[in-house]
Amino acid sequence: MAMVSPATSESKASQTRRPDASDRPDDAIPTRIVLAMQGVTKEFPNGRVALRGVDLVVPEGDFVFLVGPSGAGKSTVIKLLIRDELPTKGLVLLDGRDLGRLKRRDVPKIRRRIGVVFQDFKLLPNKTVRDNVGFALEVTGTPRREIVPAVERVLRVVGLTGQADQLPSQLSGGEQQRTAIARALVHNPRLFIADEPTGNLDPAISWEIIQLLLRINELGVTVLMATHNAEVVTAVRKRVVGLENGRIVRDEVGGAYHRED
Amino acid sequence: MISFLAFSVRRAWHGYWKNALMSIAATATMAVVLVLLSGLIVLETGLNATLSYVQSEVQVVAYLKDSATEQDAINLETNLQKMAQVSQVQYVTKAKAYQDFLDRHPDEADVINSLPDNPLPASLQINLTDPNDYIDVANYLNSQPAVDHVMNIRQTVDQLNTVIGVLQTGGSVILIVVGLIVLFIVVNTIRLAVVARADEIEIMRLVGASDAFIRWPFIFEGALVGLFGAAITIFLLILSQGPITSFMADYFKVLPIEASTTVGPTIGLIVLGAGVGIGVLGSLLSVRSYLIR
Repeated sequence: MAMVSPATSESKASQTRRPDASDRPDDAIPTRIVLAMQGVTKEFPNGRVALRGVDLVVPEGDFVFLVGPSGAGKSTVIKLLIRDELPTKGLVLLDGRDLGRLKRRDVPKIRRRIGVVFQDFKLLPNKTVRDNVGFALEVTGTPRREIVPAVERVLRVVGLTGQADQLPSQLSGGEQQRTAIARALVHNPRLFIADEPTGNLDPAISWEIIQLLLRINELGVTVLMATHNAEVVTAVRKRVVGLENGRIVRDEVGGAYHRED
Repeated sequence: MISFLAFSVRRAWHGYWKNALMSIAATATMAVVLVLLSGLIVLETGLNATLSYVQSEVQVVAYLKDSATEQDAINLETNLQKMAQVSQVQYVTKAKAYQDFLDRHPDEADVINSLPDNPLPASLQINLTDPNDYIDVANYLNSQPAVDHVMNIRQTVDQLNTVIGVLQTGGSVILIVVGLIVLFIVVNTIRLAVVARADEIEIMRLVGASDAFIRWPFIFEGALVGLFGAAITIFLLILSQGPITSFMADYFKVLPIEASTTVGPTIGLIVLGAGVGIGVLGSLLSVRSYLIR
């Protein structure tokens, strides 16, 4: 497991002095790794194989688009990352922790290091924007006096300070998604996962959301975004990981949505 | 810890009133069940009181020989009273037996008066603490020279035991069956309330809420359903205390004072415990499937 040595001072130092691949025969990348999947296969109880031998390494600060047709395995990757499912074979490591060997009571702690947003926002309809965001801190036992400033801070980041007291039904789709993003950020996650975040939004609003995610990435949060939005992926030119039939078929830095041969 | 408890209780309270219709349905179901339970307990208490009354009425009667002196009888009485199996001994002299006979059968006075002597024997009427100990007492009496014979009550005791056994088993079976049905109904009602909040639970899991934070509000909510159900039941019981007491006194051998001071609080405690217990258990069963696998 040399490739996922936790963020010690040693690995920090090695970040500046990248050794040749020949030094590390096991393809290790000597930098802080937020996420690593190694030989991951996922077979569901009904016999469907969603992922076959997936290897993926995401260093800190990366912005990764996960693309591919429906049923390619994008959702399964996300389910494995938030430890909603366990891999049938292989390893899933988050910040060096093997999710497959995580004790039950440690699962919530690891989830606080991940922020997730979905296509359908998953907001509570009877809570204001402020309370929806604060809810994430409240249910993880954060003292009240710490909740208020933390919520104000993330609302500023997503630009919803003015709408803090509105209910989700009074917001536009883009504002609802920004509320969800604020909630996902409020724990200061190491990894931000967005599952089709623009799926329900029109193109102009989609761009706003992408800009927001890019800004969050600039603030130092690693972002993994599963999407069908070809226009956005091609325009932004970030790392693109393509999944098909449960296999990674390409992994390009600065790639487009479609393969450019 | 205190903030966690405050959070759980606050959420339970809000959760209860947010889905008021569902919560009231669950509470009403709980109350119906608890009333049923109380009814069963009242019947069971009455039945047991009647049975122990009947048991205390089982007597061993030893007829004494006419040759036995009064001193013999008194000696016997003293010895019997020392036995653990014996709760009470009454010495009935020949004269008393004669008088009792006349009292009971005034029409037969001519018959008995036509005899030269009083034909009725003196006897000892012995009440037992447990009718099953009958044989010990009978054996002792049969070995005494002053005793003519001991009335055989073996058959009566056996029949009584059979009846008591059937009634008690039947009562327990009914209680258990009703208890299971109740648990099933309440679990399902609470499950509906949990399902109505599945979104909330999903979000809690996603943002990294621990199992305790997900589970305890529901446990408190289940306890609340039990508590309210029990309160309604106890209120109804207090309202109907008069009729219940006289019913128990009339049909069963339960003294009215006993019914209101002993049985009442006992039923109240059982209702409270069963209500909260079933509510909590129902919540635990309902919320289990939403926790981390």
